[in-house]
Amino acid sequence: MKRSVTTGALIRRALVEAPSLTVGLRLTLGMAMAGQAITVITPILIQILIDSEILDEGAVDIGNVFFLGVMAVLALSVGVVVGRISLLRLVNTSSTGLSDLRTKTFGHIMDQSVLHVQSERRGNLLSRVTSDITTLQEFMEWGGVGMIIAGSQVVLATTVMMFYEWRLALIAIVGVLLYLLMMRWFQRILSRNYDAVRVEVGRSLGVLSESITAVPVVRAYGVEDSTKEKVGEALERRFRVEFKTFRFGNILYSTAEIFAGLLTAVLIVAGVLIGVEVGTTAGTLIAFLFLTNLLIEPMQILVETLEFAQSAASGLRRVVEVLDDEIDVVEADNPESLRPGGLSAAFDHVHYCYPDGPEVLTDINVDIPVGSRVAVVGETGSGKTTFAKLLVRLMDPSEGVVRIGGVNATQISFEDLRSRTAFVPQEGFLFDDTVANNVRYGRIEADDAEVWTAFHELGLGEWVQGLPKGMDTMVGERGGNLSAGERQLVALVRSWIGTPDLLVLDEATSAVDPALDVALRHAIDKLTEGRTSVTIAHRLSTAEGADEVLVFDQGRLVERGHHRDLVEAGGVYSSLYSDWTAGTKSV
Amino acid sequence: MTPWSVLRDGTRLIKRFVGMHPGAFSLAVLGAALYAGAIIASSWVIGWSTDEVIIPVLDRGEDPDLLGMAAAAVLGVAAVKGGAIILRRTSAAYMTGSTRRDLRNELLAHMLTLRMSWFNRQAIGDLLAVADADTDQGTGVLGPLPYATGVSLLLVGTIALISTIDIWLGVGAVVGLLTAIVIDVRGSWITFGMWEEVQKGRGKVASIAHESFDGALTVKALGRENFVSNKFGVASDELRDRIITVNSTWTKYQVIIRALPQFLIIVLLIVGAVRISADVVTPGDIVTVAYLLTLLAFPIQLIGFVLWDLAGALAGWRRVESVLDATDYMDWGEDSASSKTDPAPVTGKTVGFAYDDEAVLEDLNLNLGAGTTLAVVGPTASGKSTLGLLLARLWDPDDGTIHLEGRDLRRFARSELPKEVSYVSQNAFLFDGTVRQNVTLDSEFSETEVQRALRLAGADRFVSELPDGLDTQLGERGTTLSGGQRQRLALARALIRKPRLMILDDATSAVDPSVEAEILKALKSAELPSTIVVVAYRPSSIRLADEVVYVDSKRILAHGKHDDLLESEPGYARLVKAYEDEAARLRDAS
Repeated sequence: MKRSVTTGALIRRALVEAPSLTVGLRLTLGMAMAGQAITVITPILIQILIDSEILDEGAVDIGNVFFLGVMAVLALSVGVVVGRISLLRLVNTSSTGLSDLRTKTFGHIMDQSVLHVQSERRGNLLSRVTSDITTLQEFMEWGGVGMIIAGSQVVLATTVMMFYEWRLALIAIVGVLLYLLMMRWFQRILSRNYDAVRVEVGRSLGVLSESITAVPVVRAYGVEDSTKEKVGEALERRFRVEFKTFRFGNILYSTAEIFAGLLTAVLIVAGVLIGVEVGTTAGTLIAFLFLTNLLIEPMQILVETLEFAQSAASGLRRVVEVLDDEIDVVEADNPESLRPGGLSAAFDHVHYCYPDGPEVLTDINVDIPVGSRVAVVGETGSGKTTFAKLLVRLMDPSEGVVRIGGVNATQISFEDLRSRTAFVPQEGFLFDDTVANNVRYGRIEADDAEVWTAFHELGLGEWVQGLPKGMDTMVGERGGNLSAGERQLVALVRSWIGTPDLLVLDEATSAVDPALDVALRHAIDKLTEGRTSVTIAHRLSTAEGADEVLVFDQGRLVERGHHRDLVEAGGVYSSLYSDWTAGTKSV
Repeated sequence: MTPWSVLRDGTRLIKRFVGMHPGAFSLAVLGAALYAGAIIASSWVIGWSTDEVIIPVLDRGEDPDLLGMAAAAVLGVAAVKGGAIILRRTSAAYMTGSTRRDLRNELLAHMLTLRMSWFNRQAIGDLLAVADADTDQGTGVLGPLPYATGVSLLLVGTIALISTIDIWLGVGAVVGLLTAIVIDVRGSWITFGMWEEVQKGRGKVASIAHESFDGALTVKALGRENFVSNKFGVASDELRDRIITVNSTWTKYQVIIRALPQFLIIVLLIVGAVRISADVVTPGDIVTVAYLLTLLAFPIQLIGFVLWDLAGALAGWRRVESVLDATDYMDWGEDSASSKTDPAPVTGKTVGFAYDDEAVLEDLNLNLGAGTTLAVVGPTASGKSTLGLLLARLWDPDDGTIHLEGRDLRRFARSELPKEVSYVSQNAFLFDGTVRQNVTLDSEFSETEVQRALRLAGADRFVSELPDGLDTQLGERGTTLSGGQRQRLALARALIRKPRLMILDDATSAVDPSVEAEILKALKSAELPSTIVVVAYRPSSIRLADEVVYVDSKRILAHGKHDDLLESEPGYARLVKAYEDEAARLRDAS
């Protein structure tokens, strides 16, 4: 459905988002065109010189020649100044407009839940704010300028031609149109061939990047030779297809030169033969040959920038598509605030299914009272994480209502929602900054002492002191300088420093060792006394100490109650638990 | 990079590329020379037609005798020009394409000769970029290079032709063209540093976006969308300002360069008209000169870009070179693997290993009998995984030696050690191929062997439920499977090889506990022909082991039977019994 959107509509849409793109555009274009008038000065000067001085009876009037020269130089200078101003204006508007568009797109993407739901789309979204915008920028700076210049040159040259001799002008225009058609036809054939190239490029890069990523496996299994062979074959195939296409393209492009030569030859023949009849001057015909040159090159530029324009248009289309994607989790128009104090949570007939996907949660009904400690257990893929994300409104249910503190989660102000609840995901994502600054993402105004206290409260003071530069240690890109378990510790402190009233931990300590895991659990329990905490538990020791255990199986809440009672009931939980005890029994 | 260093290093780079394909380069330059010749010839033909056809017929009313010849000459020159373009562009394409292909093969081959320690210091994304965009960028100069050569020849030819017509016109042309080139080069010289700033700005914008999107869940959970959006906006505006700055300088030069040939033509026309009146030159001569300069106007604008092309190529090439120049070679020995099929004993003597100058393992001694199953246990970041990597010789110890059945691991020739040792990590890597290919890695194994390995790894059931069973295509990185399923296939990949030593580094971490228990039971009862080393936390894995080493603070603190260690090592007991003790405490509390 979005396919049918025309380029014009795309541009209009982009202008709505970044109105700064249009500021003074008409004047800029007019000036660019005026600046381009410098190119027709030469042919006109040649015609005048030849007809009225050189071939004129009598001696050349040196004074007049110099006068003409000075006039031409003056015209040229004016054109340069006007052209410069128009270029500057163009760069200013396009840079400003595109920066606005980029920031707007980024903000829009950040508001989408699609980012964490479908991680495979992240790469695509990244190109929306980087390469797509860069393509647009480059198009505006080079392609756009090229098109304006080429376009105005064609208009000016044909105008001058018509003024000199309309019959020859018609020949030139028809010739140029034929040429244009021919180039378009070539472009189409070529872009079909380029599709095949793109496929091979993608394939070879896929094989190559897989092999590089797999170097440890290749080494561990000693399959270096077959890996090199596989990559070599893919690269060779790509080279053959690319070369074949380029060779073909070069032959097509070279015909353009022959066509240009043909047009020039025809103009000479026609000019000489007709000229005798209608009284064309030698100067006029020579000026025509120059003007024809002014036509051919812009055509080449126009056709090439047309491809450029197409890729810019599809870049713009992708950007606009992102902007058009409705934000799925939006703040209510008149948001409510939460009452101070502890927070309860409730699910009322909640269903969730991914867009075009199967239902992952079915009819969940649960009340979590203020101050309770709840553990959520279940096998991989049972819907635990979805439950946790719905609980803090990182997503909205497909059906049913989630309430926090008695208020429908969709009606709570974002400010309250994010400051009163905390969600700690399993991944322990860290930003490329210091440990302390990472913690500050949880509360931006926290000073060093407060950050330090937060580590201390969770019993991690010793650990953070053991780091090379303590809290000022840089964690590296994605926290790469720390181990997975250590990253989880920082993520935990980061959520903790926001003093949430509802704390949701999604296997937030899965990568730390058992002894530390138990110690952290104790610290969290002590600190969350009186507050509500929900823990997605990989390790059932958490469930044993919880006030209530929720057991998920295939998207349904199948059991709930205290650990003791669930073990006795002999259902899903009791079998999970016996696996767990068998697994953790040391003797 | 300064412009000078760009010129110096760029010349070196070009020499290297030309040396790789001298034949194709010569053909491309020949094409460029022909092209320059054809352009000069076409101007001469137009001038000749002016003097011999256009003026005699239109001005003096003579018969158009030579008209056919003029038309034929114009067409002939155009044909040569077309042929020259084909020759130049096709040779350049061949040169670029084959250089890229060779470089990529070389990159992979080189990476495969390097130590894993080198590999671990690199970000995978960077290595992929080197093999993809950086290689393209680094060789990007190969396309424009023959063209630039052609333009240089064209300049020389132009000056020569104009000088033969009239020495004063020639002097004018030299002065004019040199001025154009100087201004052109100066423009790109001055804006050079500014462009680098723009590139840096782009990098910053991209990395903020990358980080924010990767950590989206965290950003949203903390409600920091506005914080990162502002950060992004600041970087974006900074980029905008840099682009505007560089362009306000660049456009100044750009318009001058575009206007200069026009200016030169006007001057030469005036001088020419004066010289005609002195009967030194013909009208056709100044038409030739003007026509030639018109044709030169576009190529001359491109001279300044050579510096850009070079700088861009160098930036890409530096990153390619940093990989190709890495010398952390893996030293292979000469020995072949043994053909024995029984378990092999392992010994480690005074083994030490440091990562980034930080000791990870120190003075570690290990004696493991043939057929033993050993569990390696220790707290977070204690060096357990490193031990596994050293035993498989994915890394080499900095001190001490490791022997497999009396043979130093470093004495094995390339690809020989994996015939006796299999290593399975927590990150199960699957190739884009079928289930079968992923298990066999294209070695010869019978159907029964494949089935047996899958069964042992607890993967038989889900594989049989896949649409095409063993022949199901897994897609890139096996994304269609769950983490636990991927780990089980990776385990089968090791088991099918019946290794004499098998190392499992938390290899079942993503498998559900009940399934894991089954797998471990199956492995225990299968009586594998392997010595097994398991890096694990879970007491269930530990209990299946014959022996345990307890690693903490970079050393093996104890080696013995699990029950004995529970008695003698309080740290070990605390770690292993953490959950059990917790359960007991909770029972007591209630």
